[in-house]
Amino acid sequence: MIGAIFKGLGTTLRYLFRKPVTVEYPEVKRPVRERFRGRHQLKRFANGMERCIGCSLCAAACPADAILVVPAENDPAAPHSPGERYAARYEINMLRCIFCGYCEDACPTNAIVLEHQYELSFYDRRSSILTKEDLLVPPDKGHGEIPPILQQLNRRPSPPAQIDL
Amino acid sequence: MPDVTLVIDGQTVTVPAGTNIVDAARIAGVAIPVFCYHPKLKPVGMCRMCLVEVWTPKIDPATRQTVTGEDGRPVMTLMMGKLQPGCVTPVSEGMEVRTTTDRVRFAQKGQLEFLLTSHPLDCPVCDKGGECPLQNLTMQFGPSTSRFDYADKIHFEKPIPLGDLIYLDRERCILCSRCVRFQDDIAGDPVLGFDNRGRAWEIISKSDPPFDSKFSGNTTDICPVGALTTADFRFKARVWELRPTPSICPHCPVGCNISLDMRYDRLMRVMPRENDYVNEIWICDKGRFGMRFIESPERLRQPLIRKGDALTPATWDEAITLIAEKLIAIRTHAGAAAIGGLASPDLPNEDLYLFQKLFRQVLKSPNLDFQTGAPGEPEIVDLGATLGVGKGTNLSGLGAGTAVLVVGADPEEEAPLYVLRLRGIAARGGDLTVINPYPTKLDRTPARVIRPRAGAEAFVALALLKTLIEEELIAADFVTRRVQGFDELKARLRDHSVTSLCDAAGVAEDAVRAAARAFAKADNGIVIYGRVALASGADLIDALADLTLLTGHVGRPNNGVIPLIPGANARGALDMGVHPGAGKKRGLKTREMWAAAREGRLRGMIIAGMDPARDNPAAAEALDALEFLVVQDIFLTETAQRADVVLPTASIAGREGTLTNAERRVQRFRQARIPEFNTPAGWDVAQRIARALIAFGVEPAAPDGQGDGRSASRTSTKTGSATVLPDPWDYVVAGDVADEIAATVRGYADTTYESLGLTRKPQWGRQPNEAIFYDGTSYENTEGVGVQIAAEADNPKATFTLRARVPSSAAADDAHPFVLLAAPRAYDGRAWSRDSKLLPRMVAPHLVLNAEDAAALEIAPGSLVRIVSEAGSAVLPAQIDRNVPRGLALAPDVNGAPLSAVQTGPLTRVAIMAHIDETVGTR
Repeated sequence: MIGAIFKGLGTTLRYLFRKPVTVEYPEVKRPVRERFRGRHQLKRFANGMERCIGCSLCAAACPADAILVVPAENDPAAPHSPGERYAARYEINMLRCIFCGYCEDACPTNAIVLEHQYELSFYDRRSSILTKEDLLVPPDKGHGEIPPILQQLNRRPSPPAQIDL
Repeated sequence: MPDVTLVIDGQTVTVPAGTNIVDAARIAGVAIPVFCYHPKLKPVGMCRMCLVEVWTPKIDPATRQTVTGEDGRPVMTLMMGKLQPGCVTPVSEGMEVRTTTDRVRFAQKGQLEFLLTSHPLDCPVCDKGGECPLQNLTMQFGPSTSRFDYADKIHFEKPIPLGDLIYLDRERCILCSRCVRFQDDIAGDPVLGFDNRGRAWEIISKSDPPFDSKFSGNTTDICPVGALTTADFRFKARVWELRPTPSICPHCPVGCNISLDMRYDRLMRVMPRENDYVNEIWICDKGRFGMRFIESPERLRQPLIRKGDALTPATWDEAITLIAEKLIAIRTHAGAAAIGGLASPDLPNEDLYLFQKLFRQVLKSPNLDFQTGAPGEPEIVDLGATLGVGKGTNLSGLGAGTAVLVVGADPEEEAPLYVLRLRGIAARGGDLTVINPYPTKLDRTPARVIRPRAGAEAFVALALLKTLIEEELIAADFVTRRVQGFDELKARLRDHSVTSLCDAAGVAEDAVRAAARAFAKADNGIVIYGRVALASGADLIDALADLTLLTGHVGRPNNGVIPLIPGANARGALDMGVHPGAGKKRGLKTREMWAAAREGRLRGMIIAGMDPARDNPAAAEALDALEFLVVQDIFLTETAQRADVVLPTASIAGREGTLTNAERRVQRFRQARIPEFNTPAGWDVAQRIARALIAFGVEPAAPDGQGDGRSASRTSTKTGSATVLPDPWDYVVAGDVADEIAATVRGYADTTYESLGLTRKPQWGRQPNEAIFYDGTSYENTEGVGVQIAAEADNPKATFTLRARVPSSAAADDAHPFVLLAAPRAYDGRAWSRDSKLLPRMVAPHLVLNAEDAAALEIAPGSLVRIVSEAGSAVLPAQIDRNVPRGLALAPDVNGAPLSAVQTGPLTRVAIMAHIDETVGTR
């Protein structure tokens, strides 16, 4: 019986000198997995343009009805996004969001991405609604070129077809 | 037509001969995909999407008999040896159609692949996305991949404005020509066309200003792709986010069924709702783009009370208490007849009913009217309640065998949808006669045009009557049974010949005789009269009534008279009794009220939803003379600015109710959103005033002779005794008012909200394979088609007296050689047009003169002319039109037109001269 006690204490003693598996959370943060689904970000293209074209497909795909998109027409002189349409308002209610990532799947321009931020707590319900300003990445943090399908607004029209008479 | 039996995908169906394969398949429940085919348009076979295998029995050329095979069945051959377009191939006996074979599937795949070679595939940003036939058919029938590289696609500049309302995205266009055919065949404004060839083929607008049509919005509905989009709904929302609310267009007497597509209490767009009895699947641009006023920031938000010179915000309690106190004071010292009420003919039945009930039963004043009392406003001579149009009328089904007389009306401006309905009747073989003193758009349809002198229209109607008598075209049986005074009429017309009557009107005799013959011999005869006929006077209307009576076109479906009285619910105003002659005691007409107000006999007024002070200084002066004026409206109008108390009300989107259209169809509209700024509906305002009056000790009277004498259901009457308990005025919802209307107002017995909601067949509605035809834009009607109210003539025992008489010709007035006529305009720039995309199309006040008249007076287009009448003078810029008859001065009745300064009546004799500006001293 005594032997068993020392065996147990021995295990304790052994772990005392090992590196602990816990982290001291607020000061130390564990990295998340690459495919972790956290707080959303609205991405930009490399030239700083918003990727979001205001198509509302994320809102349509959202099973929790957490997303609101109000589209508007781009001013050709100062467009927010490539093409004719952009999101004038883009809001996600993080209290409703279930982090399923369907919005990400639905997005035709990879604009909405669930990133690795997981510290989502609020003092009131209203601040749980993230607006477009909260969600958008800074203009210099864009990536990727605008695909040709979105470049139509600035594209030179095709010449009229040649007609053989 | 004989029926034809054929087999479609193994199903045997019997359809009328002449049906095309696509429609036959639809009856059989088989979906054949289409793009260019539309059931309301003639098939053209342009898109080749409906290719199917058509097998017909082989005919032996020698014997002309069906060849029978060894198994005893007919030998089938593939028609033409290849696939056939189903929309242009009529069915034939014994035909077999196969729509799911490999060959058909291959063709459908190929066709869609071809269509998509030029398509930008920008569905995520496309406004059609979600209700797009191209999207849906590609998912259902198309290839999953394309062999064409994106870079090979044809590119056009992104949307170009095709007019200021419609945008064209040429990349998305599949050139089905639905829009072009709609404009050519249905709307009768052939303003669209094709340009270029091959890959550069595109839709263009041929008119100036571009896409100049009152029906342009419909092209965006029938466009099977997102090529045509409206400026009003560009990038507003995705269609699946919208909440369509059944509503009724509040702009004209047609009463088109619309749906207000809302998103979070914001109006996104207005769409037509299908109702074959009213608007088929179309609406005009005024209805589609003219609803933005409901969200205008200028809307009244709270009651205003006059303190000194300013109107200051107040609470409802303060405002209602003040109104009750003041009205009681006026009643006490000047009598109940010193209070008058005006209610707009655009208000729903519920508002009008409680408004007149407030006056007749609580205030006990008979002074009620729905007209503005402007000097040029015609007297309303109404045939809608007596003759009316037979119960069960459906203009969309009429064609050959129907004769329509359009007398003194410009339907395009007064009730635009009637243009489409009448064009449809003409296109299906109906006979159309247009009698109007100036050219209208209906002249462009295949119609007989009779152009009398302005004011002499009655002579044309009398010439028609005389022709009927002379040529013995009278429906003798009907006349003996139900018409009195025929001999007297003959006596009155004895001294006149058709020729002399036609001369008096200045029209050709042949056309009049032809019109009379066509109208008398037709199975169905309909007379439509409008604003110009009302201006012409009661002689014309009486003659028109006699015309329908003598030909027996009365009291049957698809027969009768349709009066186009200005206002969306003028019919309802007449039926509810918002006019001075409705009660036991005759009240003052609006014009008499103005005189009484100036003389101090009328002290207080309540004006609901109407702006009589606008463009009418005399009315404004009368209003200023009033002791106390209450205005309930949605905007601070000129009338409201003169009020002592202004009460805000909800717009048509913020409440529910019913409207009665020109054909006496009662239709219900639903509440689309919470009331703007918490404003109450008009009926509730009347109720609040009535309750306050009763609380201050006013004894409400028993219901007077309104309706057919039955006591109101809500007023408990002890049978046999005269004890009538006071009316509780405890309406909670609009339906309570509607129930009382159904119980008390003559003819409205069947108009409870339950019966109005029934969707009667045949309706297109949601049908099993509707997704193929009406895919995309949904015209679904869930709120019912309304209930048409019977007129007196629908009672087979009702008899009528002929009243037509020959008026004396107006004496020529050399000092005033012109006739000034106010022409109605749909785009009149009034309150409804606030924030609308139609604003650039509003007409500025002007005067239209004949080219020769203008030349004789040395008036150049655009220069100012002075109009002088006995009443006064006004200055307007001139427009020259060689189609306007000589001697006629047409002044569009639009916002700001200074007509009331000149007019002495609906027809005013005026002198016209070039305006010399005295202040400058030069011309």
